[in-house]
Amino acid sequence: MKNINLNFKLLFSFFTLLLLLSSCQEVVQVDLETGKPKLVVEAAINWQKGTSGALQKIKLTTTSSYYNNITPIVSGALVIITSGSNIYNFIEIAGTGEYVCTNFTPVLNQSYTLTINYGGVNYSATETLKPVAPILTVIQENNGGLSGTDIRLRTTFIDPANEENYYLINYNYSNRPKPDFYVIDDLFFNGNPYFSITFGGGNDEKLKTGDVVKVTHYGISKQYNNFMDILLANSGNGGGAGPFSTAPATVRGNVKNNTNEADFPFGYFSLSETDTRTYTIQ
Amino acid sequence: MNFKQITLFAILLLSTLSFCQEKFTISGIISDKKNSETLIGVNVSVGSAKVFTSTNEYGFYSITLPKGEYELTISYIGYNTFSEIIALNQTIKKNISLSENGGQELQEVIVTNEKTKINTRSAEMSVNKLSISAIKKIPAVLGEVDLLKAILLLPGVTNAGEGASGFNVRGGGADQNLILLDEATIFNSSHLFGFFSVFNPDAVKDLKLYKGGIPARFGGRASSVLEIYQKDGNNKKFGMTGGIGLVSSRLLAEGPFIEKEKGSFLIGGRASYAHLFLKLSEEQKKNTAYFYDLNTKFTYKLNERNNLYLSGYFGRDVFGIGNSFVNTYGNSTFNLRWNHLFSDKLFSNLSLIYSDYYYGLNIDVVGFNWDSGIKNYSIKYDFKNYISEKLKLNFGINAIYYDFNPGTLSPSKESSGINYDQLDKKYAFEPSLYLDVEHKINDFTFAVGLRSSSFYRLGPSTINYYANNEPVTYNSDLKIYEKAVPTATKFFGKSDAVEKFYNLEPRFSMSYSFTNEKSIKFGYNRMVQYLQLISNTASPTPLDVWTPSDNYIQPQIADQVAGGYFVNFSDGKYSFEGETFYKKVKNRIDYIDGANLIANKAIEQVILNGEMRSYGLELLIRKNKGDFTGWISYTLSKSQQRTPGRNDNEIGINNGQWYNSGYDKLHNLAITASYKLSDKWSFGGNFILQSGQPVTYPNGQYTYLGINVPSFNQRNENRLPLFNHLDVSATLIPRKNKGKAYQSEWVFSVYNLYNRKNAASISFQQNDKTLQNEAVKTSIFGIVPSVTYNFKF
Repeated sequence: MKNINLNFKLLFSFFTLLLLLSSCQEVVQVDLETGKPKLVVEAAINWQKGTSGALQKIKLTTTSSYYNNITPIVSGALVIITSGSNIYNFIEIAGTGEYVCTNFTPVLNQSYTLTINYGGVNYSATETLKPVAPILTVIQENNGGLSGTDIRLRTTFIDPANEENYYLINYNYSNRPKPDFYVIDDLFFNGNPYFSITFGGGNDEKLKTGDVVKVTHYGISKQYNNFMDILLANSGNGGGAGPFSTAPATVRGNVKNNTNEADFPFGYFSLSETDTRTYTIQ
Repeated sequence: MNFKQITLFAILLLSTLSFCQEKFTISGIISDKKNSETLIGVNVSVGSAKVFTSTNEYGFYSITLPKGEYELTISYIGYNTFSEIIALNQTIKKNISLSENGGQELQEVIVTNEKTKINTRSAEMSVNKLSISAIKKIPAVLGEVDLLKAILLLPGVTNAGEGASGFNVRGGGADQNLILLDEATIFNSSHLFGFFSVFNPDAVKDLKLYKGGIPARFGGRASSVLEIYQKDGNNKKFGMTGGIGLVSSRLLAEGPFIEKEKGSFLIGGRASYAHLFLKLSEEQKKNTAYFYDLNTKFTYKLNERNNLYLSGYFGRDVFGIGNSFVNTYGNSTFNLRWNHLFSDKLFSNLSLIYSDYYYGLNIDVVGFNWDSGIKNYSIKYDFKNYISEKLKLNFGINAIYYDFNPGTLSPSKESSGINYDQLDKKYAFEPSLYLDVEHKINDFTFAVGLRSSSFYRLGPSTINYYANNEPVTYNSDLKIYEKAVPTATKFFGKSDAVEKFYNLEPRFSMSYSFTNEKSIKFGYNRMVQYLQLISNTASPTPLDVWTPSDNYIQPQIADQVAGGYFVNFSDGKYSFEGETFYKKVKNRIDYIDGANLIANKAIEQVILNGEMRSYGLELLIRKNKGDFTGWISYTLSKSQQRTPGRNDNEIGINNGQWYNSGYDKLHNLAITASYKLSDKWSFGGNFILQSGQPVTYPNGQYTYLGINVPSFNQRNENRLPLFNHLDVSATLIPRKNKGKAYQSEWVFSVYNLYNRKNAASISFQQNDKTLQNEAVKTSIFGIVPSVTYNFKF
């Protein structure tokens, strides 16, 4: 349903565009406070269809002040994933905060547990590896947008019947450094052929011939879907402020601080099967 | 309605038959001489000012006094005062038409005065009245005269910023206002997402806003009542009124109907042509965005004792992007009323009312149609019994049947991947009865009321049941709220009650007058709201759906106390009103983080029960008479909400702490003035200065999947910068108008004269190109000049 929601949101931004002839946006300097740094766990295990999925990476960072462009890394943590009797060690590429495992074994619908020890604090999270429906086609349509001549891409798949499915959708563009993400669930298209869609970026970043677009669909859990939904809303992805905005919420992931419950880390431990396509605009 | 209620009602009816020896009644209808438009709230006093009443919503008055000679005085601002010595030795019927005191022909009521001096003796408090002529003097954005923007200048009224829909009264939600247009409920008061209101100023006679001390005849909303009266139409001669503005044009016709001086009609239309501007640009020529509305009213006087009124409203907003999006929404109302005088003391009105709100959306890109809405059918029978000069009773019954459609989703074309889905329709019935007693004892006036309301959530409906009766579960591991999975369902057949509620709503207000011009007042009211607007945005959006209270959603119960000091001075030239209030609302719903409200099939799974509180001080100084009139209003107030955990283990929403509502404005100052320089020129001005809206600023940021995510702390802890703007207008009435049937005027206005870039929002996002985190301020209206041409013949 989120894709409909997304469209509702688009509707509002369209409206803002349309009516507020005299409205304007400007970058302003706002004095902001900075909270105590918190651990951020980016443990997104992705298994592209047709690969072994043996190489996986986990990133540990911390929060920093809002205007700070450098993300502080967390070095020297102990990171492992266990599944049954299997133990996968994630070894840091020295001084990068990136922890790598080269012998990971992904199994669909299997449960995994992440454990992190850092600075005498123990963190853990448990999740299940979710499958994803294969991408069938990527279709280019040339009649989108306000003018009816903008290019949009539609990526199709068939939603598996008789089960709840949640998708994380990611579009990357060669003409724009910032990726697009959104989540959808199959509540209203369960078991049907369906699609994800991109309209490209903003006005000056419309898709044009020669642009390369990479689309990835991730199979995700319901809980991760809810998490990403709030996270994306907070990051201004597909939302924005204004009279129709909702109050931003604290995004709590599935990683627990076992030493001091109240000092929970940000981020999430997710495991997804993914399918991806790269498309060059005609 | 149960047996008890019927008995009570019968007793009320009987009580009206009480006899008073040697007393006689004078009664009648007060209207405008020119067009027979009935006048509401006219002061009628007899002998000393201590015996007074005012005309009701249909212009009717009645006073009963011991036999004797009296001076009857009828005064209404903008009209010549009527005065006559009357020998009251029998029952007298006296219809009086007042003539305007040399005002502009074009103005409906008067040019110079906003309102009459306050009636300090009446127990009525926390009420603001605005005449349409006063509203038309207020400079407006793009020259669009707007009732709702005008009431924002009154103390205790705010909204969630420029361009936000609805309004907030004494810290209440926009969904907590009962908005009545000729007694029919309007569910969405905004056009174009809140930039304009749905009321055509030419079709409106008067408005009255009850912020507190709400009479028992009103119910169903927790915060306030906004009553808007449509004009009846001129029953003497045919005429037209119209205007051409930058955003919309208006045209209204009125005149005698069936028989002169007996019947009248009024038909008014308004349409925007904002889409015309769109068509100018090649890029946007396939896109549309416009609104229109239609007001109609027929009035027919059957005889001295019976009047019929038929009124209707139909409004729509339409916009679309080529064929990919088409969006339509709006209200319609239909209302038949019958005024009947049982006696000179017993006035009655029977109303049959239908109103609905529709929202429709077609998104071709995705291939779906969406429809949602609410319909209600209402019957109301209201009585006013003017027993004596000291005692007046208002009582009546009301029954409303609701039909909610939370959403119908259907594929819009063959190739669509969308499944047809009808979200469970909901039905409800709300019967109520009330009694209000107004009693004067020496220098005290009391108004004591009681409303007895019931609410039945009816089938057919399938209700979910959950473990521990908790549709929201708490994940204590992750400290988040999650949707529960139903453990059972039960089907309720047509007219089975899923849940029922019964509430008594006491209302009380009193005044003590030190002199004729000075009084203190005190009021208390309890209001129960059975309908909830499902909305988690700062101001409501058109697609928000209404839902009835049920086994999971409790009715909101508001208690408000208010006290005030009222004084007229310098011979009524100035008046001062100071009020303070405290309001508490139980069962205010809040939403779990990440709740998706659109097309939600089980809304109870994302809702938690919270509470609201607000308190404040309101000051209002008015200059009522002279060429220079206006007011200064200042409000110091706080509006907060809290949703604690259901038990000690849960964190609640926002850690269970109180947080500021999205429309909380600590300081709110509004100055509005108008000055009549000559018969040709008059000027108006507004100055608004208020605290910025509460917002949540980030206290840090982190990176996740290559996106920068701002991290937020407590909700609404920060504020946008100070909000202020100055608006001016000038009205030119050409000299050639004099003595002609065709009257015209030009209104020139400038909104936000010093081009203040007020922040409507500040969003925190990553720049698409530089990837640097930024704070981006959006401001809506800079300086906006406009011109409007109005005419009448």
